[in-house]
Amino acid sequence: MKKTLEIVWVVLTMLTVFAFALGYTNHVNSLLVGFLLVTTFIKGQSVIDHFMGLKDVRLKYRLIPFFWLAVTLSLIAAAYYLPITA
Amino acid sequence: MSNMLTVKEPHPPGDFAIWIIIYVELLTFALLFLGFAFSRRSDIEMFNASQLQLDQISGFINTLILITSSYFVAKAVQSIKHMTDERIKEASRAAARWLLFAIVSAGGFLVVKMLDFIHVFGQGITLSTNKFFMFYIMLTVFHFMHVLLGSFILTVLYRKTKAQGYTQNDHKGLETGASYWHMVDLLWIVLFPLVYIIR
Repeated sequence: MKKTLEIVWVVLTMLTVFAFALGYTNHVNSLLVGFLLVTTFIKGQSVIDHFMGLKDVRLKYRLIPFFWLAVTLSLIAAAYYLPITA
Repeated sequence: MSNMLTVKEPHPPGDFAIWIIIYVELLTFALLFLGFAFSRRSDIEMFNASQLQLDQISGFINTLILITSSYFVAKAVQSIKHMTDERIKEASRAAARWLLFAIVSAGGFLVVKMLDFIHVFGQGITLSTNKFFMFYIMLTVFHFMHVLLGSFILTVLYRKTKAQGYTQNDHKGLETGASYWHMVDLLWIVLFPLVYIIR
C-alpha cells in the first residue's frame, strides 16, 4: 500500500523544522529568504496536491491554488529583494 | 499504455461552493501577506525588531500541529473513500478516530495561540503599536477565527462519521469540511515563515 500521505507529512515536518532552525538560530540572510520561500512553495503545493487531493482533478482546478501560491510567494520575494529607493 | 494514464476527476473534492469560499479566502489572505511584505520595506529595522518580540517556538509548534491535523483529516477521507460495503463499520470507526485526532490537534493549536496572544497582548501591544503588529494581529486573529470555525466543522464531521453517515459513494460533506481544513493549514504554511522567520 502506498504511503503517500505519510511521506508528504514527513517532508512537511522536515521542511518546517529546517525553517524554524534557521530562524531560531538567526541564520536567515537574504539568500536564505529565497530558499525559505521555495521550501514554502514545496510545502504549500504538497498540501494542495496530496491533502486537498487536487492532484487527481482536472488541471484548471489545480492551477488556481498553484498560481495563488506561486504569485503570492513571488511577490513576497519581490518585496524582500527589490532595491528600496529613497 | 492506457493504464498509465490517470483519469482525472471532473470537479475538486467536496461541494463546489466550498471552493469558491476557499478561493476568496486565499485572495483575502494574499492581500494581507503582501500588505505585510511591502509595508516592511518602509521600515525594515522596526519590522525585524518587532519580529524578535514574537515567540517563534509557539509559531513552530503550531505549524507542526496544523500539518499533522491536516494529515489526520486526509487519512479520515482516505478511510471512507477506500471502504467496502462489508467494512463500513470498521472504516467509519477508523475515519472517526482520525477526525478525533484532528480535533484534539485543533484544540492544541488554539491553546498555543491563546498563550501566544496572552504573551503579545501582555506586553501592551495593540493594533496601533506599529505596522508590524497591526498586520500580525490582523493575520493571526483572522486565522485563529478560521481554526475555530474549522474545529466546529471537524466536530460535526466526526459525529456524522461515527454514526456511519458517510459511504464510499456518498461522502461529499466530509470532503467539503476536509478541504476547508486543508485551506486553514495552507494559509498558516505561508503565514509562519513570513511573520515569524524571514527577515
